[in-house]
Formats: sequence, structure tokens, C-alpha cells
Amino acid sequence: MNYSITALAAAAVLAAQGALANDITVGLSWNSKTQPLEAAWEDYMKAEAERQGAAAGVTITWVINVADADPSRQASNIEDLITQGVNVIVARAEDAGAIGASIRAANAAGIPFVTFDRASGTVAPTAHVGGDSYDQALTTATAFADLMKEQGIEGKCIELQGALTDVNAINRSKGWTEVDAARPEISTLVQVPTEWNPELFRSGMANALRAHPEANCAFIASDFAITAVQSALEEVDRWAPAGDARHFWLATQDLLPGAVPLMEGGYIDVSTTYDAFKHSEELVRVVIALSKGEDPMCGPDGCLAKGRVVTPATIATIENLWSKTYK
Amino acid sequence: MMRGVLNYGFPLILAGLVVLFGVLSPSFLGLANAMGILHAMVPIVVVATGMALVVMLGKLDISVGAIGFAGMSMAAMLIDGAGWSPLAASAAALGVGAALGALNGFVVVVLRVNPLIATLGTMIAFRGLALQITDSRVMVLPDAMRNFGNWTIGPVFFDVLLAGAILLAVHLVHRETPFGRTITAIGNDEAAARRIGLPVGRTVFACFVISGVLGALGGVLGAAQVGAVTTFLGKGMEFTAVAVVVVGGISLFGGRGSVFWGVLLGALTFEIIRAGLNHVGANPYFYQLIGGGIIFVAMYAAALKARETRLQD
Repeated sequence: MNYSITALAAAAVLAAQGALANDITVGLSWNSKTQPLEAAWEDYMKAEAERQGAAAGVTITWVINVADADPSRQASNIEDLITQGVNVIVARAEDAGAIGASIRAANAAGIPFVTFDRASGTVAPTAHVGGDSYDQALTTATAFADLMKEQGIEGKCIELQGALTDVNAINRSKGWTEVDAARPEISTLVQVPTEWNPELFRSGMANALRAHPEANCAFIASDFAITAVQSALEEVDRWAPAGDARHFWLATQDLLPGAVPLMEGGYIDVSTTYDAFKHSEELVRVVIALSKGEDPMCGPDGCLAKGRVVTPATIATIENLWSKTYK
Repeated sequence: MMRGVLNYGFPLILAGLVVLFGVLSPSFLGLANAMGILHAMVPIVVVATGMALVVMLGKLDISVGAIGFAGMSMAAMLIDGAGWSPLAASAAALGVGAALGALNGFVVVVLRVNPLIATLGTMIAFRGLALQITDSRVMVLPDAMRNFGNWTIGPVFFDVLLAGAILLAVHLVHRETPFGRTITAIGNDEAAARRIGLPVGRTVFACFVISGVLGALGGVLGAAQVGAVTTFLGKGMEFTAVAVVVVGGISLFGGRGSVFWGVLLGALTFEIIRAGLNHVGANPYFYQLIGGGIIFVAMYAAALKARETRLQD
């Protein structure tokens, strides 16, 4: 979806309505709020609203509701926000199709609508803010190739892919494959589809290790299932931290709470974060831009926040790493 | 020779697959790989064993995957929140499985709801319960539990021995006990079974309880292998269990088939295909196409055999 034209139009509406005021009210509609990630997002949004708002001369007030994973309830909640006359609506959609009706309703009321993390599958919002899963893989793969070069190792890798119907999984495989083709330090021996099923992470990794005993590294499409990979490596006595001769080089995506202690322990070598802080920072930038009548300058897929590359050397000092702080 | 092919078509195809994958990837034929295949099969074998009993009745239980998730979610909360030992928590998971299986049995036997409809509803409810319990979080299990899930005795994984013992025990119960014969009678003709005074209601109820317990055990063993409880636990497992049972030759109409050979052959088929495709580095986008094609050929061979048998009768 092309967000830039829609964003410009909405910004113009805001300006016409005299919404260049210093105070703006943001209606935030959560689909659910049960996870540490969601708590982190909200806290970062509020903190960034104060920081960026002060710099921009804008005071942001939040009106927040939660839909408990019910698309109908979310539609009703958003209707409430429209009725309350908020200046901007931000929503993390429970249902990519159902959110379209809410976007239309907001458009009809002249209120800019920003989808957050989950894109709308039907109606284009004013802007979309989310993570850049392609860049996540690109930066991980590049950092990993640099690491292999520094260590003087020829990386012979197993790629554990996510569900091939998931755009994030496709983007991550694409990013890894591009770097694999460009860098002689790494090569992919086998691609293993896991359908995001931890059991297939384990059995697929075990099968790949048996078929390719020369493998010495892996790219893992998400480290939510890192313990499953650990099981497979323990089976062949290759679960060991960096510095140990048995160490198996691991490049992962997301750096979720379960993976943080493993990176701190030297088992995971490189990861790019699914970065709640960067998502929130970008969202507030977009909201302020819209409130000022400016074009947030989103790309064709939206304003995608890039993750940060983390290694065992930097994990202790990296700031605002939600997976370390929020449990 | 033709009769031999018809009688043993399905196992022959399976053997042919093993040879093919072995030629394409010599490591496929090693002992380590054989043990790995059996190890990966454990959760589905346990779940499908319970499913087999229900299918023998001529009924279905499509809540088994959700029961596995719900049971293990409860266990993970007891470990994480209440400091229970993994062993005690796993036992509690089996208790949850029994309770949820009993609920299914009540709905089917007492309320007389169609089993497919009943367990479709409970599948959704049980998964929702589990998501509430875990807040949809990934719950990492203690190392002791992951070590148990991957514990070996010599070259053999302990859970393979456990799953084998369960499968054999249920098979013998089905083949050698009055309870098992009642299951077959109900599967062949439930009305006739009632008329001759067989305890139809109690037997159906008991089978749903057993299915629930084995569904929960499958969840425990699956989570122990991967070292975590995630929202993916048990997802789709009910449909895989039905497919295993059907591919293994147990009739969906009830009354026919062997629990042991049916579950073993069915589970081996799926796991050999997946492991083989991993070994040969098949294009990930072709997995489902190739897997579906192989299963079609195996089912066609089984159908030819069934037709030949009917012609002889």
C-alpha cells in the first residue's frame, strides 16, 4: 500500500482543522495487552512522546483502550476514540481485515489513522509503523559474515526458516540469502522449513546436522524457539559457548527474552532485535509529523523501524533493550 | 507377485522411500538418523494412540492438540509460579488431560452431541484456556525437563521406549480385553452393541478420557523435547493424528484396524518423508507438494488392496 499520498492528505486535513495546536490527543487501541512486549511498547511510546514532544513543542496526551483479542471490541473501542475527538488514532490490529472498517470510519471523521506493528490487509491507513524484517536479516547476515571473516572461519550454515506464508519469514530468508550470495565467508548448506513450529526447529536442525556434519553455523529465523535448537545441538555435543572448540556459530532474529541469557552466555553470536524501542520512537515521530501537517515520509511499505545488531560484546551496554528489561 | 504388491503395497512404498532417501543422502540410513526419526515421532505417536481408540469407536476427538497445550500450560505455570517439580507438574498435566477428556466424554455421551462438533468446540475452548494461562508467552522450561525430553539409554531415546510401551499396551488392551472388544463392536455397529447389552456409554466415555490423557502426555513429551511451551504447542496436532491413523489403515468408520501397526506405520510415513526431505535439502516450497504426493500414492496402494479384499469376499 502507498502511504505517502494518504499521509499528505490527512496532514492537510489536520492543518485545516487547526490541529497545529501544541496539544494533541492520541487514541491508542491495543488489540490485547498481555505480553511484556506490549507493555514495553507503551512505556517507550510515552517516554518518547515526552522527549520528542518537548523538542517539537508538542504535548501529547494518551487515551488508551484494550480489546482483549476481540476484533469487534476493537472496532467499538476505536469508535469511542472517534467520538471522543482524538487528533490521531494508533491501532495494533487484532484482525488485518476487520481493521479496515475502523480506518474508514476514522477517515470519514477526518482523523488520521496509524496502524502499528500489524498492517491493514484491506484499507490503507494514513501511515503504517512497524519493524523492517528484511533489514533485520540483512544486518544480522552482514554482521555474521564479518564475524566469520574476523575469526578466519568458512561458515557452512543451516538456515532454519519460518512459516513460508508469513511475510516476516519470507523477508528474513530473502535478506539472509542475498548476503549469502554476496559474501564468500558464509554459505548455506540446507534450508529447513519449520512452519514456526518449535518441534520442527528441533527435528529439522537435528536432521540437517546428521545430513551435514560439516555444518558449523546456523541462521535462525526467530529465536523464540532457541531452546529447541539447543536440544538439537546438545544431541551432537555442539552446544557450547564461543571460545569452546565445540561452539556452533548462531545468528538469530529478534533477541527475545529467552535468547538474552544465551547471548550473554556466548551461545548466540549475532542477532538483530525486534526492537520495541525503535518501533515506538518511529511511531511518535510519525504522530508528531502528522500533527504538524507534515508528510512523515514513509516508504511504500510504511515507516519501518530498523532493529539493532547485538552481540555478546554489546548486550550489556545496549540501551532500551526491552527483552532484557521486561519479563 | 501382484497379490504381494497389493497386500504389502503401503509398507513397500515406505521401504522404497527409505531406499530412495538413502541413495540421495547416505546419512539417512544411519542408526543415528533412525533413532532421530523415532524420537521426533514420539509426541504424535502418543497422541495418535489415544486418537486410534476413539476412531475405532467410529468417532473423532479433534481437541487432543489443544488438550496437550492446555495441560502443558498448566504444568509450566506450576513450575514457574508455584515452584513445583517438573515431575509433579507433568503429572498435573495428565490430570488436566483426564479432566478435559472427561468433559469431552460427558458432552458426547450424556449430552449426545456429535463428537466432531463437540470436540471442535472444546478444541477452541481449551486452546483459549491455555492462552489465558500462559498470556501467550513463551515459557522456557527448566533444563531438567529438557534433559529428560532428550535423555538417551545407549543409542535409544527414553521417550521412544515410553511411547512404544504405551502404544503396545493400548494395542493389547484393544486386542485382548473385553473393553477392547467392546470398542470394536461399537465401531462396527453401535446400535447392535447397545441391543446386546454392551456398556456403550461407559466405553465411549472411557476412550475420550484416555484420549485426553494421551493428548496431555503428547504435549508434555513434545514440550520436554524443545524445552519450552509456546503457543504453537499442539497446533494442528489433532489433524495430524487423524491423518496418521487413517494413513496407518484404521478405518474412520470404526471397527477396523490395528492400533499398533496403524499408528506406527502412519507416524513413520509422515516423519520419514519430512526427515528425508530435510536430508536431501529439498526446496522448502515443495515439502507439502512432495509429502502430499507420497501420501496419495500410499493411500492409493491401500485402496487397491481394500478393493481386492472386497472382491475376494
